[in-house]
Amino acid sequence: MLNTTEAANNKSAALPLPWPFSRSFAISLASVAIFFLIWQIAPALGWVNGRFTSQPSQVLVAGWTELGTATFWNAARISFTEFALGFALSLAVALPLAALMVTSKIARYMIDPPLMALYIAPSLILLPILILWLGIGMASKVAVVFLGAFFPIAVNTMAGMRQVDPKLLTMARAFGASRSRLFYSILIPSALPSLLTGIRLGIGRGVLGVIVGELYAAQAGIGYQLSTYGNSMRIDLLLVYALVVSTFGYVLTEFVRLLEVQVGKWGAK
Amino acid sequence: MTAKFLKRHAPLILGAVSMIGICVIWQAVVDLGFMNPFFVSRPTDVAQEILTQAEDGQLLRNIMESMKSFLIAISMAGVVGVGLGLLAGWFRDAEAALSPFIWFKYSAPTIAFYPIFIAFLGYGTPTIVAVAFLFALTPIYANTLAGIRSADRDLVRAARAFGARPLDIFLKVALPSSVPIVVAGLRLGVGRALTGVVVAELFGATAGLGYAVAESSQRLQTTRMMASIIVIIIIGVLLTQILSWAEKRTDAWRVQPDAA
Repeated sequence: MLNTTEAANNKSAALPLPWPFSRSFAISLASVAIFFLIWQIAPALGWVNGRFTSQPSQVLVAGWTELGTATFWNAARISFTEFALGFALSLAVALPLAALMVTSKIARYMIDPPLMALYIAPSLILLPILILWLGIGMASKVAVVFLGAFFPIAVNTMAGMRQVDPKLLTMARAFGASRSRLFYSILIPSALPSLLTGIRLGIGRGVLGVIVGELYAAQAGIGYQLSTYGNSMRIDLLLVYALVVSTFGYVLTEFVRLLEVQVGKWGAK
Repeated sequence: MTAKFLKRHAPLILGAVSMIGICVIWQAVVDLGFMNPFFVSRPTDVAQEILTQAEDGQLLRNIMESMKSFLIAISMAGVVGVGLGLLAGWFRDAEAALSPFIWFKYSAPTIAFYPIFIAFLGYGTPTIVAVAFLFALTPIYANTLAGIRSADRDLVRAARAFGARPLDIFLKVALPSSVPIVVAGLRLGVGRALTGVVVAELFGATAGLGYAVAESSQRLQTTRMMASIIVIIIIGVLLTQILSWAEKRTDAWRVQPDAA
């Protein structure tokens, strides 16, 4: 099998097919089409209860109307604001903290254990206590996003900064660079690829944080709509909102991945 | 002598100092009246609460309940994730058929579909297991796929030159060489399955650590909530440490290229 696939690869490398017609793409397309087809006809054939699964056609219709309503845009605006604020806050705290941990050994040894414990433990479990502290409004969701995004960003940035050429730091210090100058001119640019990896991982956790937070206790936002439509069994509308969230996370993650590739190329030069 | 000892164990000592320091500060700000114990409780109260719950069996019951869901979910995710990963890693067509769903699964916050799980599986263990299973599936699948693909090309070529059939190459070259990466995927999966269990328990359960957190938060019993949160964090750290250890063990037999 490996033989044939390798041979096929060599062939396609020598004779590049136009992209949309590659074998893999056709198979992916067919597999998605079959999935939608089964989903569409299953309720009609009585295999599943359509009330629980909805149908692609229903979701399409629901999406078409719902995406034009003020309800949707209002919920999207609130959730996006929570996400953006929490993410900005985690960047603003994680970067200086990572720099501190790289430049001072004592700080690293002291901050590392609690940081790693919260990084690998399910930090979403802090949600109920955040709600107790900050209420069920936007503040508690901003805090959840912060918690989700902060740890991957801090840990990855620190790993990147530790690989900075020590000679660069020594030289900059010898020429009298200030601490903030070291941070902006050496540490951040050198750690950029790892920082982007941290941001990419943080996006997924941040989006999850917003949704979990709003599902758990909220008065508005995409997660709140999900819970409302879920309780009233409007599965078509539920899927529309879930798809919007997925698309948002996917597009943002892919964008950062592209940036990572670009920065990687620049670093290699 | 003392200085040398201090220097060698600096990470451990300073780490312990910082953990103890956090507890002391936490205790002090409450005792000195800077903070209301209603919001943050006290380390001594939390420790007392954990001991009380350990004695009357409540703690063990919640841990067992969560671990039951966790073990079912991680076993299912392990079997399905490794199975699909092997399939997709070996047959490119299988990967092409699966990849759109995996992409979607990767970018969609699983918990958004929680109401659908409730509709199909009802409140309780089946839904919790399903959420945790989906949380854990992606990293296990992705790592298994990468592990099979990363088989040393020279080894594959050598095996083929000596007349190995594709099945032999799969069983004797690709599969063994993928083990460390698969175990790394399982470690990621363990962390995510635990997140899945406690998050799903927050929303709807009748027992378990996540349920204990949600229930005591509704009753505004901060000490009980903190006790369960701390137990969850400790379990998360322990499980990940065990898998990290296993990861090192499975990687040990590999001859390091620069060591040879």
